Amino acid sequence: MTDKPRVAIYKMSSCAGCQLEFLNLEPVLLDVVGAVELSYFVMARRQNAPGPYDIGFVEGAITCGEEIEKLKRARQECRVLVALGSCACFGGLPSIKNWIPERVVESRVYQNLEVIESTKAYGIDEYVKVDAYLKGCPVDKGELVEFIKGALLGISPHLRPHSVCVECKLRENVCLFVSQGEPCLGAVTTAGCGALCPSRGKVCDGCRGPANDANAESLARSFTEYGLHKSDVIRKFRKFAGLTPEFSKGAEAV
Amino acid sequence: MVVARSLTIPNPLVLLPKKDLSRLVQHLMQRYTVVGPVAKGGEHAFSAITDPAQLTLDYVSSLLPPKKVLHQPFEVLFSFHQEQGVLEEREPARGQVLFGVHPCDVHAIEILDKAYGHEYPDPYYVNRRQNTLIVAANCTKVGDNCFCQSMGTGPDLQKGYDLLLTDLGSQILVEIGSPAGEDLLQQVPLQPAPRVMLVEKEKRLDEARRKFKKRLNTSGLKELLEDNFRHPIWDELRQDCLACGSCTMVCPTCFCYNVVDKLDLNLKSGQRQREWDSCMLLEYAQVAMGHNFRKDRDARIKQRIYHKLAYYEPQFGTLGCVGCGRCIGTCVKHIDITDIMARLGGE
Repeated sequence: MTDKPRVAIYKMSSCAGCQLEFLNLEPVLLDVVGAVELSYFVMARRQNAPGPYDIGFVEGAITCGEEIEKLKRARQECRVLVALGSCACFGGLPSIKNWIPERVVESRVYQNLEVIESTKAYGIDEYVKVDAYLKGCPVDKGELVEFIKGALLGISPHLRPHSVCVECKLRENVCLFVSQGEPCLGAVTTAGCGALCPSRGKVCDGCRGPANDANAESLARSFTEYGLHKSDVIRKFRKFAGLTPEFSKGAEAV
Repeated sequence: MVVARSLTIPNPLVLLPKKDLSRLVQHLMQRYTVVGPVAKGGEHAFSAITDPAQLTLDYVSSLLPPKKVLHQPFEVLFSFHQEQGVLEEREPARGQVLFGVHPCDVHAIEILDKAYGHEYPDPYYVNRRQNTLIVAANCTKVGDNCFCQSMGTGPDLQKGYDLLLTDLGSQILVEIGSPAGEDLLQQVPLQPAPRVMLVEKEKRLDEARRKFKKRLNTSGLKELLEDNFRHPIWDELRQDCLACGSCTMVCPTCFCYNVVDKLDLNLKSGQRQREWDSCMLLEYAQVAMGHNFRKDRDARIKQRIYHKLAYYEPQFGTLGCVGCGRCIGTCVKHIDITDIMARLGGE
């Protein structure tokens, strides 16, 4: 036993890409392991220690009753509970199914529906109190480390609340929207990714959800002016964060 | 400060054949880091060049203003360590030449000199500024969003340069603005320019002056803004503006920054960093316990416009906008400071 904070990583409905980012911290992974005890991390450990834990990271959306139970146990076991990645924060990619009847969605994926009892896909705060949110698909490694340091010090980590445009401008990227007419969600999406996609010539897909003063309705109007069909505008705002009040306004604005 | 260099020679003029421009730049590169406009994805960005051919002096505007080399977007101020204390990391003093800077951006740098160099000198800015020479270039091309003519900051420049270039076709008229500028021309064969070349220069500039599409009436701006604090336009802008902050990130006179301590995982050492901040962002005016002085988007839009056009003058003796038009060009919603002022003025 050590006096290092004990960390648990839980997986719900997800691709496991966010917890993989812990291992992708490779250059500083040994420092992370030196600072915290990764007590429960099924992807990386053969033997996992039982709770209670100091920090629990929950990856994935909640899409069935079983996961609701698992999540509630996680909440009881952890002093601090963190939504790890966009699925856990606000539903993420799994939430694209929420606007289609449940049985229709299920039948698209599964042959035998008798054993399937899925629910709408929600972020974890639909069911439990959440202490911190790390957005992104996947989460940003820098923010993950920043959060761990904040937790160790007992202070709020410096996570960017503003739009992706700020980071895009700081990198002096050519604006894909105004220069090339490509419909980009960066203006209403939370930064912290370092404008990852626009820096590589691809528009922001909004994976990190709404920025702190997102005006999605106004951006939706611009999308239609730039020739996007109403159904495309809806798809854009519902791809990752359609459940958030801000992006749902964007989807419903046109 | 550095801008107050005295002139020893009365407005000396020389002519540089355009084909010899690269020779001049090559010569400068031996002694200085030369930073100038370089093509980038259909736009232009001020970059340190490795070859004079990279310079695109016929550019209209740059993505970020040349301010970025004096007041950097990201900057490490110093490192710190629990035992060793503060470890200063001053960059080596190799001089730099800002090459091909347009008059609006030179005026903007003069405004930054006032904000960063006078009352509370910023050592990081002042250090770079003192090691920076400005080779400015008058504008013979005018962009769709330019309105420097209205602001008295272009298309030509009167002061604030070490050298000033004007494109006269096959030749470049070079005006020397400082002893340091004169020194830059050593070892480059140059012809003294006959005074008549100033007539040719004026002809080119007059052509440019006729091309402006945007204007802003600067008379009585302060009163106009004070009288229109409750004008309906602010609510319309609140509904339109995306609060993305782009307008302020590309502004050549915006000088706000945020300071963040980045700790290492050992929690004992780290770096103090700063980066550009913006009054258009919601968290900018948030204080302890979560109160926010400018929670509403229209309050932040007003702050940007009022600061540039009403609040600067009493503090710095000049308007805070140089008419470069970058904020107009970068806005997804086409929000245009000249339109806003025209509407307030009843035009």
